[in-house]
Parts: sequence; structure tokens; C-alpha cells
Amino acid sequence: MCGICGIVSYDGPPDLALLRRMMGRLGHRGPDGNGYYRDRRAALGHTRLAIIDTSGGAQPLCNEDGTVWVTFNGEIFNYVELGAELRHRGHIFRTVSDTEVIVHAWEEWGEECFSRFNGQWAIALWDRRAERLVLSRDRLGVRPLFFIRRPTGLLFASEVKSIFADRSVERAFDPAGLDQTFTYWSPVAPRTVFRGIEQLEPGYYAVLDRDGFRKAPYWRITFPERGREPMQDAQENADALRERIVEATRLRFLRSDVPVGAYLSGGLDSSVTAAVIARYTGAPVHTFSLRFSDREFDEGQYQKKMSAVLGTQHQDIVVSPSDIAAVFPEVIRHAESPILRAAPAPLFLLSKLVRENGYKVVVTGEGADEVLAGYDLFREARVRLFWSRDPESEKRTRAAELLYPWMARSPGRMPAFARSFFGRHLDPADPGLSHRPRWDSTSVIKSMLSGDLQDGISRADAEDVVATMPPDSKDWDPLSRAQWLEMTTLLAGYILASQGDRMLMANSVEGRFPFLDRDVVDFANALPARHKLFGLEEKYLLKRAFADLVPDDILHRPKQPYRAPDAASFFTPDRPAWFDEVMAERTIAAAGVFEPSLVAGLLAKCARTGGENMSNTDNMRVLAIVSTQLTHECFIAGGGWGALEWSLPDPSVAVDLGTDDRSVP
Amino acid sequence: MNRDTVEQVLRDYDALRRPGTDPGLEAVRAAILLEDVFDIALSDAEIDPAVFADSAAVAALVARLRGAV
Repeated sequence: MCGICGIVSYDGPPDLALLRRMMGRLGHRGPDGNGYYRDRRAALGHTRLAIIDTSGGAQPLCNEDGTVWVTFNGEIFNYVELGAELRHRGHIFRTVSDTEVIVHAWEEWGEECFSRFNGQWAIALWDRRAERLVLSRDRLGVRPLFFIRRPTGLLFASEVKSIFADRSVERAFDPAGLDQTFTYWSPVAPRTVFRGIEQLEPGYYAVLDRDGFRKAPYWRITFPERGREPMQDAQENADALRERIVEATRLRFLRSDVPVGAYLSGGLDSSVTAAVIARYTGAPVHTFSLRFSDREFDEGQYQKKMSAVLGTQHQDIVVSPSDIAAVFPEVIRHAESPILRAAPAPLFLLSKLVRENGYKVVVTGEGADEVLAGYDLFREARVRLFWSRDPESEKRTRAAELLYPWMARSPGRMPAFARSFFGRHLDPADPGLSHRPRWDSTSVIKSMLSGDLQDGISRADAEDVVATMPPDSKDWDPLSRAQWLEMTTLLAGYILASQGDRMLMANSVEGRFPFLDRDVVDFANALPARHKLFGLEEKYLLKRAFADLVPDDILHRPKQPYRAPDAASFFTPDRPAWFDEVMAERTIAAAGVFEPSLVAGLLAKCARTGGENMSNTDNMRVLAIVSTQLTHECFIAGGGWGALEWSLPDPSVAVDLGTDDRSVP
Repeated sequence: MNRDTVEQVLRDYDALRRPGTDPGLEAVRAAILLEDVFDIALSDAEIDPAVFADSAAVAALVARLRGAV
């Protein structure tokens, strides 16, 4: 796992000093080494977190004759098999790294190579002869890849802060990106919250050459027509799912030249991955967990139980609201986006614990909720669809009482509220039915926006993600449509980004996600919906597949989403000084995103209760405002927070053909 | 969906029954499952705790409604 960046320049050799500055801003992603390549048209930079072939494998790396160069962030987990095939076809390898497989695979198969990769990646390939840059991103967006197109060329990088190393790049919020964030929880690729900065869509590759810029998908999230799923037997499917998850987990644990740890949240997904490691690799397992001082959020008893069952060496970190506030500016500096929950902050602290214990790779259970239907949102959608068939039915109305049993103010305890909340937009023909309540409740944030930004949003006319659903989705099961929306919005934009890659890489730790393995996802997407969500039983097939490895009380405990204290984190007596600075009326006005008087009213309301017992809406509002202000301060106002540069050691690869392009190293 | 699959689904449903909970709410839970899996529509009268407490009665209900589809 690493940081990548680069420049394509139409008007002379790329600026090497700029490339080095861009690399310096990615030092946290790759503290083990760095390198660059430059010719008269392009420059590639790399900061390395050495995991596979730690002695070789330095980047940028080229093919046999130095005509194709690559800078790569991620892992190609099937590199051993692909390497054998490519050697058989005559390619000559100098290293045993997965990186070298990429250049030879590109030579052999062109853009079809990406569909052969099973992994998590952001790749930039430079073909010197064709003067062609190729960018590619993994199927579901595990690894980030941003770029900006300009008349003079293109800049790309793993993180936006690296692109901002070029002082000529405009720094401003994109109203449409903010609109999407305050609706879907994050911008939807290719948008970002920054004007002019794009992110490559997951599952896409892009090409920039003499014919211009173009991009296309090599893979899409897709599902079979309801009722025409190829595999109908639940037990056979449970066995096949287990086989794939075991293999995906083994690959992610064993294909590393450094030790690999595992997260253990206390829930089903990470219990399965940790249990598979323990059972199928025979290796000692070191597990890491996040706990909370607030019992409402803490899952410590389940973590300890699972650790004891597996006999792992276990460590945890207990996080308090004050801890969250203390690291929040750093969290936003890494997330590079407003966030609507404080949940990424504890994950930042957890990856710090991992790194301090000498690990730089962890296997986690991320992705199971999206791929195998674990979220309450999917249950909620099924209840609403059931209810929509006869909204006046007293019996159907009661279905809302079956939702969110873990909540203190659950629908079962507050049925009247549940009916009014979940009963809105009950249109069974609406392809976005599953997500309307979430999007509606999130959009309330926008009532606090400044008039200028509201005007900007109206003019920008951000894309409606429902309108981008594939035409054949009308024939999918409603659960499949909900999964598509969840994978397209929250998974790529928030879970894998603000909660995933950014919080892990902030401390130079790579996350590996067996549930997002190519073969697991393709298999799961082809399953009948009832095998994922059986009535209201979430992750039905996963539970069935691993019933022997996970204790009953973890297997059958009600799904508890990962949450952390939100507004309460910022109203403790020891609140850090930065909060009052970024939330001051003049700072709010200067950022221009929120209406200062409305913010003042919200802060006064929080101050009365110490941020405790706030509504879901007010919690989101507080987090949206704090994180937006910090994003502005870091990346737009020019306060310098976003511009921290590592002092990089001497590069292990330094190829400069910027002035003489005839020789090849 | 063939007969074997229908029987398998009903067996799987039976294994998930939750004793000790509100029978009316359990009937709703079961109705959600049956409507989704079998593409059938239950009337309010058919979302009946007495029916859903009896596996054979559920099977008969599903068979009748699937026959009517």
C-alpha cells in the first residue's frame, strides 16, 4: 500500500520539484521508500509501504525495455497466478512483486488486464512510445485516485492534498459535491467536494493520449433478474460462499512478506475473517479492537469473547468523546471531506494502535454488510415495501416495529414516530425507495446552508444517483437495487474512504477486505436475494456458512452498526481550542457554506445539554458543520494544515529523462 | 420456484421462528418473508398468528396463494 502521484504535461517536461512536493504530501502512505520517473511528457511519483517483495519491488517500475512504467497503490492478490501465466507467455520478470505483474499484464492484455486482477488498486501506467497515460481503480473503490484535467495536462494522486501541492490549482468547494455529501453522505464519483478535482469511478480505467481523455468501465455492479438467479439451493450456496470467503481471507493473510493482523469489532463479519485466519492458516493471530468509554457504543464483551474463542493475542483501545475531539482536525486532514459522523476518528486511533504494535497490514470485515445484506437499511426497505402494498393496513403498519431493535428509541418503543418516519415516500415503483428515508433525513442539513451556497447548488444541478441506475435494474430484486445504491454511494464514498483507506493510511496501515474479493462479490451478487436477506434475517447465508466457527451469541446478536459519540464529543469541559476557532461566527461566514446565525443557534442548543441526547438530525448537523469548517480551513483557506509535507529520504528509484529522452535505464 | 425449493424455504423459515415474542408481530415478520420469497400477497385476515404458529397451515396457505398467482 502506497501513495502515487504524477503529472502529464503538454508544454514541456513536468516540473520535478512539483512532483517531489506531491510525493512529500503522501509520505504517510508510504514511509518505507520513494521513487520517481520523469521523461519529457510525464512524471510518476511513488511513496512506498513495503509489504510484498520488500527488498525488490521499488517503484516506479518498468517492463523489459523501459517503455511502460507503473506507479501503483494496492495489492493484486492473484499476482502469483498471473505472473506464472505471463512468464509462460514469455515475459521476463526482474522482481517477485505484484507491481511488475501489472506492466506485463498491460503489455499482454491491454485494458482487459484489469478484469483479470483480483485485488484493491489505484494504478497509473505510462506508455512512453504512445505517450499514453492509463489510470485504473479497483472494482469497488478500496483505493482512491484523484485527478485534475487542465489545458496544459493532468495531475493525479492518491489524495487531493498532493494535487494541491501545485499552487496554481484552484481551491474551492464544488457546490454539487457538497450537495451530494449532504444527501448521500459523500460525493459520488467522479465528483469530489473540490471544484475541478475528479475521482476515477470504481471499476473504471481512464486513458489520456494524443486522442484526448476518455474513460470506460471494465467491471460493473450487476445482479441477475429476480427469479432467474442461477443458484437456488441455500445449503449449496452456503458451502460455496464459505469456500470463496476462506480463499479470499487466506489470500489476504498469506500474500504478504510482513506480519498481518486482524480487526475484531465484536460483530459477525470480523469474527468470521478472524476465525477463518485462525482455522485455515494455522498462524498465530494478533487482533485489534476499538472500545468506547460510553457503554452505549461499546462492544467489548463480544470482542473479548471472540478473542478468547480463537486464542488470539488481543489488544484494544478505549476511546472517549474527548479523544475524538482531540484528533478530529487530523482526521479531516486525512479524510479530505466533510463527514456526517464522528465514527472515522476512533478508527484513526485504532490504526495508530496497530502501527504502534509493529503491524502495517490488517484484515477486516469491511464490505460484508453491502455484499451480503447486513445493513438495517435493507431490512427497513423490505418493511417499507411490505407496508406500501396496503398503507392503511393496521397489521402492515406494525412492521416498522421490527426495525432497529438496538436503538434506545427504537420503532418498537415509539411506534407512532416510526410510522410517520418510515411511512413517507411509500412508492413501490420508486427504484430509490430503500434510501429515501436516509437521504431525506440527511438533506435536512441543507436547511442550514448559506443563501449563496444554496444558489450555487441550484445552479450546479448535481446528478441524481437514482437516475444513473442501469436500465436492467428494473428487473432486479428490490434488495439488489438497494445494494447497488449502497455500493455506489456509501461504500465507495464513505465506508472505504473516510472510514477506510484514509484512517488506515493516516498511520501507514493497509486494510485488506476479504468480503470485497472479486470472486466473493461476483458470487454474492448472483445469489437469490432471499439467501442474503431471508425475510428480515440479515446476512442469512453468511450466518449459515460459518455457524460452526462463530459462537451463537455473536452469530445471532441483533446487528449493531458501528457508531461513536457525535455532537457529545465536542461539548466536553476539556474541549480543544480549535473548535471555538473554526466554529466562530466570522470563520463560518468566511467559509461561506453555512448560515452563521443558524450555526450559533445549534451550538447554543448543544451547549445546554453538553451535546448529549441530541436528535439524529442535530448530531449530523454538528458533524457536518465542524467537518466542513475543518475541510475549508485545511484545504481552501490556506491555513497550512492540509499542506504538511514529509521530508522524504533519498529515492530508491530516480529516473530522469526529462532532458534527454533517448536513453532507457 | 419448484416444489423442493418451496419446501426448503418453509423448513428454513421454521428454523428461524422466535418463541416468546409478540405473536402478532411474529405473524407480520413471517408475512414479510413469505410475500418476498413466494411473490404472494396476503390479506390482513391471512396475517394471522394462529396460522403462522402452525407450519402445516403456513404450507397450505402458501400453496393456495401460489396456485392463485
